[in-house]
Amino acid sequence: MPGPMLTLTAILCLGIIVAERTGFSFTLFYCSSLIFLALSLASLRKRFLFDIFISCLIFTLGAALLRNARELSARDIAKFIRYQDGQAHIVKGLVDSEPSVKNNRTSFVFKAEGIQIGNLNYASCGRILVYLKEKIDFSYGEELILRGCLSRPANIRNAFGRSYRGYLSDQGIRSVMRVKTGMDLIRLNKNKGFPPKRLAVFLKKKIEGMIFRHTSSPAAAVLDAMILGDKRHIPWFINDSMMRTGTIHILVVSGFNVGIVAFIILLFLKVIRLPRKTRLAVAVLLLIVYCFITGASNPVVRATVMAAVFLLAYLFKREPDIYNSLGLSASFILAFNPRQLFDIGFQLSFVSVFSIIFVYPKIRALLRVESLKIRPLVFLLDGCLVSFSCWLATCFPIAYYFKIFSPVTVLANLAIVPLATLVTLCGFSLIIISLTLPSLAAYFSYTEKLLVMLLLNINAFLARLPAACFDL
Amino acid sequence: MFNLTRQERQVIVFLISIGLIGVGVSFTLKNCSPVKAVAALYQDFGKVDLNAADKDLLIKVPGIGEKLSCRIIEFREKNSGFNDLEELKQIKGITESRYKKLKEFFILK
Repeated sequence: MPGPMLTLTAILCLGIIVAERTGFSFTLFYCSSLIFLALSLASLRKRFLFDIFISCLIFTLGAALLRNARELSARDIAKFIRYQDGQAHIVKGLVDSEPSVKNNRTSFVFKAEGIQIGNLNYASCGRILVYLKEKIDFSYGEELILRGCLSRPANIRNAFGRSYRGYLSDQGIRSVMRVKTGMDLIRLNKNKGFPPKRLAVFLKKKIEGMIFRHTSSPAAAVLDAMILGDKRHIPWFINDSMMRTGTIHILVVSGFNVGIVAFIILLFLKVIRLPRKTRLAVAVLLLIVYCFITGASNPVVRATVMAAVFLLAYLFKREPDIYNSLGLSASFILAFNPRQLFDIGFQLSFVSVFSIIFVYPKIRALLRVESLKIRPLVFLLDGCLVSFSCWLATCFPIAYYFKIFSPVTVLANLAIVPLATLVTLCGFSLIIISLTLPSLAAYFSYTEKLLVMLLLNINAFLARLPAACFDL
Repeated sequence: MFNLTRQERQVIVFLISIGLIGVGVSFTLKNCSPVKAVAALYQDFGKVDLNAADKDLLIKVPGIGEKLSCRIIEFREKNSGFNDLEELKQIKGITESRYKKLKEFFILK
């Protein structure tokens, strides 16, 4: 059996699914959890009984977590307003995300702290997606007072059948606010919000500035997505082409990027001759900072937790278990937000990694790759098998959600992943060089552009191959 | 089934207990926090003072262009300011329906 943590996480997921599908109340799940906790405590000395009770406890805890996440606070902004009354509301709070500017319209997530109803101001909470019909340069953590119309998110469904309202609800957003002009807002304090996140946003802006100063679009856009996980500048045709070849994962920060960052950090710390233990501890801290810089999306949190488990295992001289670290990272994400279990990104991220660590070694043993004598052939076969096992696990969810079936994925990943590794390494080098020797940055940026163009052209060629991709 | 040592079992039970208490507290706070009125604030927030706004500020009001903003300022100077928002209707280009939309954005201080 794989690591116990993975099994316990699977049970936690089952509890979340049962709570989603049934109508039982929080109280029922919570009381059951308390009973199973008492039973687990009573059976600490009896291994078999303890295993059964702890499984039941985690199952009911998962269900209680989801019920609690779905419960709206009495102070939630969504409970204060009557939607569609057409009246403007005044809300005070903080900018809770990095604002996005598109077509002279600014949008951001706003964390409400107070709302004005009539002549009274009430303490409030909850997250609102704000659309402002003006281009204003906000930053994360800025305190604002907004006046605009609040409404529920539209219940439209995309081509894949996903509800926009459901999607936003899973992100903890239950209201949308439309602010007409810049006059409908007051900017109060710029330095609020979670300090590490503010630092991460500041660093991200600096790095983004360096990328766009030395590289032109689309190379800068691709680099921005690969290093900082920001896909806002990626042209739609590149996105579409990579989606069709199944290589879109290189445009988001995932385990692949975190691995490269960890490698660069450890290499750099080794070069400056830090002791081994300090090196590992500093690497963990820097990976957490990188996780924040890239927006702490599911794949990057998963990869950061897994990398931290591995590095800390080496630090404490314990044998790391990949299944346990995978389970721990999933539990970590689900404990914060159990609704993430229904997020496509979460599902694809964990399914693909599970397939790589579980299916790939089995296929490798079946084909007796180890017995081959020619090393380059073994290397090539390994690449194919990793790509194939990943595709095998993700092709069905992708076909279900995105209505696309891409047989070219295995071949495309074989060509694109090594190139993407080079692009990422070159991108990090460009950032380090533009910090230390800016005059040399131009040469790095030319190489970067060449590599990105090569990557995009190979991808476009593969997408045009006959039977490369089928729309279902 | 899980092959956990006694120490591991104790750690798991301890962590789950802490988490479980936290979930209970979070749920209680969500349902039992009193909804309190804190203060009355920003009554005139987001409204433009018709007697003080300059041309640039007037143009920012939805429905007012460069010409109309000039006419508003001209009217204001001629009559030593507005005494009532209804006076806006006397300006060329501001019809009854347009006035109804515009009055939401103005205040007289």
